[in-house]
Amino acid sequence: MDENGGLRVLVGGVGYRNLRDGSIGPWVVEQLEGRAGGGLEVEDVSYHPVGLHQNLTDREPYDRVVLVGATARGREPGTLDAYRWDGQLPPSEEIQACVSEAVTGVISLPNVLVVCGAFGGFPDDVRVIEIEPADEGWGEGFSPVVEERIPELLEAVWTSTEP
Amino acid sequence: MCFKNLPIEFDEQGNARLKDGVADPYSYEVTELNPLDQDEEKLQKLMARNGHIRRVDFDPVTRVAGALAFHTVVDLENREVLETDSMATLFRGYEVILKGRDPRDAIFISSRACGVCGGVHATCAALCLEMAFGITPPPMGIVARNLLLSLEYLYDHPLHLFLLAGPDFSEPAVRETNPEIWARAEGAPARGKALHGFATIGEMMTAMTPLTGSLYAEALHMTRVAREAYVLIGGKYPHPQTVVPGGVSATIDISDLNEIQLRIAKFFDYGQKVAAIWDDLVDFFYEVNPEYRKVGQRPQNLIDCGQWDDPYAFDATYENSDAWGEARWATPGVIVEGELVTTSLQNVNMGVEEFIEHSFYEDWTKNGNGNGDGSPRFPTDPAGNPLSPYHPWNKETIPKPGGTNWKEKYSWSTAPRWDRRAMETGPYSRMWITAAANKLPHRRFIDSTGHSLKLAVPGAGLPAAEVEWNIPTEWGAFERNRARAHAILYTALIAYDNLLIGLDMMRKGETKVSTTYKVPKDFRTGVGLWGAGRGYLTHHMTMDDGVIDNYQILTPSTWMASPRDPFGNPGPYEEAVAATPLLENYEKPEDYKGIDILRTIRSFDPCMPCTTHIHTEGRVISRDVVTCACGVDDDHEH
Repeated sequence: MDENGGLRVLVGGVGYRNLRDGSIGPWVVEQLEGRAGGGLEVEDVSYHPVGLHQNLTDREPYDRVVLVGATARGREPGTLDAYRWDGQLPPSEEIQACVSEAVTGVISLPNVLVVCGAFGGFPDDVRVIEIEPADEGWGEGFSPVVEERIPELLEAVWTSTEP
Repeated sequence: MCFKNLPIEFDEQGNARLKDGVADPYSYEVTELNPLDQDEEKLQKLMARNGHIRRVDFDPVTRVAGALAFHTVVDLENREVLETDSMATLFRGYEVILKGRDPRDAIFISSRACGVCGGVHATCAALCLEMAFGITPPPMGIVARNLLLSLEYLYDHPLHLFLLAGPDFSEPAVRETNPEIWARAEGAPARGKALHGFATIGEMMTAMTPLTGSLYAEALHMTRVAREAYVLIGGKYPHPQTVVPGGVSATIDISDLNEIQLRIAKFFDYGQKVAAIWDDLVDFFYEVNPEYRKVGQRPQNLIDCGQWDDPYAFDATYENSDAWGEARWATPGVIVEGELVTTSLQNVNMGVEEFIEHSFYEDWTKNGNGNGDGSPRFPTDPAGNPLSPYHPWNKETIPKPGGTNWKEKYSWSTAPRWDRRAMETGPYSRMWITAAANKLPHRRFIDSTGHSLKLAVPGAGLPAAEVEWNIPTEWGAFERNRARAHAILYTALIAYDNLLIGLDMMRKGETKVSTTYKVPKDFRTGVGLWGAGRGYLTHHMTMDDGVIDNYQILTPSTWMASPRDPFGNPGPYEEAVAATPLLENYEKPEDYKGIDILRTIRSFDPCMPCTTHIHTEGRVISRDVVTCACGVDDDHEH
């Protein structure tokens, strides 16, 4: 039995660097890197989702994957959502569009879910921690509204890694 | 004489000069456009009278990289395209971002122009900086760059052939748009079965089905093989960390080269298989209906800077660029109406202009911009050849967002022209020019014959073989795809040739991969004359006081997605779609899907992130948008 109750968990941050709130995923990874070990892996998975699918299928399966990033869904900026992904995939044409975006360089959390969900690599237990961005403009630092939610976001990520 | 439209002539020594007695040599009259659908009343009447005339808009064009909208008016009864407008819907702000920065930033920032092939921008920027700094990479550094470039293409070509363009030829697409062709395909024997394993064309089309088809899945896998090899030198993909002015910063040892060799060898079999698949597929469509030869047809006008430098010829100077250009594995040059008119890199560069009459930019030669008096900042290049005021070295990027109007401005792409002609570029332009020029200095695996490239493929899983790609007599969408399929082998063999050269250098102890430099503080100019998976790529720079003064990126898709030029001539996408017969099987106009138009556009492998990105408030780059550019009733703001 290891320190994480025997669970193999991957925390993956998704986002672009230097795009303000859009950089929250990679930033979270940097904050949590020191806590990795004992069944918990922390990784910046901000690369194209087909590559992530290929890497995940090569590895010993995880018990849980926790993905964190900013996702614009038209909610109130700063809205924090933590949920277990239901594995529902869109119609085939939308999956194709996601694959096209993936291989041509688009990095987004929803795209990761669709591509890895369709091609494989995920365990049954996939958790998502996402925040609604207020500012995805070029630059460092977060918008005040997102900055304010960071402690909660980190707590949500951390809680999601527990057995 | 390679220039017919520009006022340039050559003296007896072959030096270019402006023709005597031309008062304002680069001036031009703007031709007024009269698009069919600009006259809304006329179009409405036409559509009311004839239910087969329709506006058909592809916004966005899916399965291409980035944001492209394409507007057409089609006559579904006569099966022809009446009107075309290609619209790059986003602005690429890299030129603005780079101004005032340390020139070395250009390598890492310009790389972000593309999520598919960032490495080509990084390397093109390095070439540009080397010219400006006056440094030359050591031979092993050049070999490393050649390997990176090849591996990038080995990622790019399968991706295009089976993930982006390929689905248009898959069972579901053909069944839906031309069921009679699917019926024939099911029973049509495939000639290349011994290479690709499919007994019929139908089996092949089934294997091209998105998500579930074996060829789709195999292409995804092969892109990984290429990426694995790339990161051994590049560090990561698609934005390498090791490209620097003067070579690469990676340490390369024998083990790296062996790892890369193993992966390149996988493309020997795969390349033969893919070439056989597309040969069979293209020939089948031509046999079913010879009209498919006309899909995506346009004049045989192609341009390429060449690429893959000879490690002992390249010296990064503009003055010697004709010599090191012709020593490349891909010969630089221009094809006009099917004829090779030059292989001189300086002529290629000298003939380029960018126009903005139908683009959302301000003219940098007017309104007090530039020198303020309409004169070009650089009347000549560093070798003394004349340059147009509209040449990239003289260009400034002055965005001017506004409403979309097919008669006025409708795209964020400029209209690049060579000798005032619309040019296309791609793996086929580099193969075509290399084949036609017959100047290839490295013929261990590739031979140019004047009309073809003979590719001597070493044995791997399949026995050694010679595969030949012939310059096509007719030029259209299907031939673009066939050429790109052969480009996998062409690229893999160049990679292998460079790998063997690298191993030889290692045996001789020539392992240095970079050279030292200082960033100069005085005024300098540079240009990277290079290529991307999709063809021609240049970065032009001026720098002063240690920072970038002006930076201009000209990409393949800017050439091809271009709107009309001031002379009223369409860009390549527009031109090719306009010539496309509508061969789709539809009974009612409502059933029309536009497959022939989509095959045409996708055959160019559009890469709109390279062409345009969004830019707001002076500094914001973001991803994708969908822009309705479809009507003429209103001007759409951007």
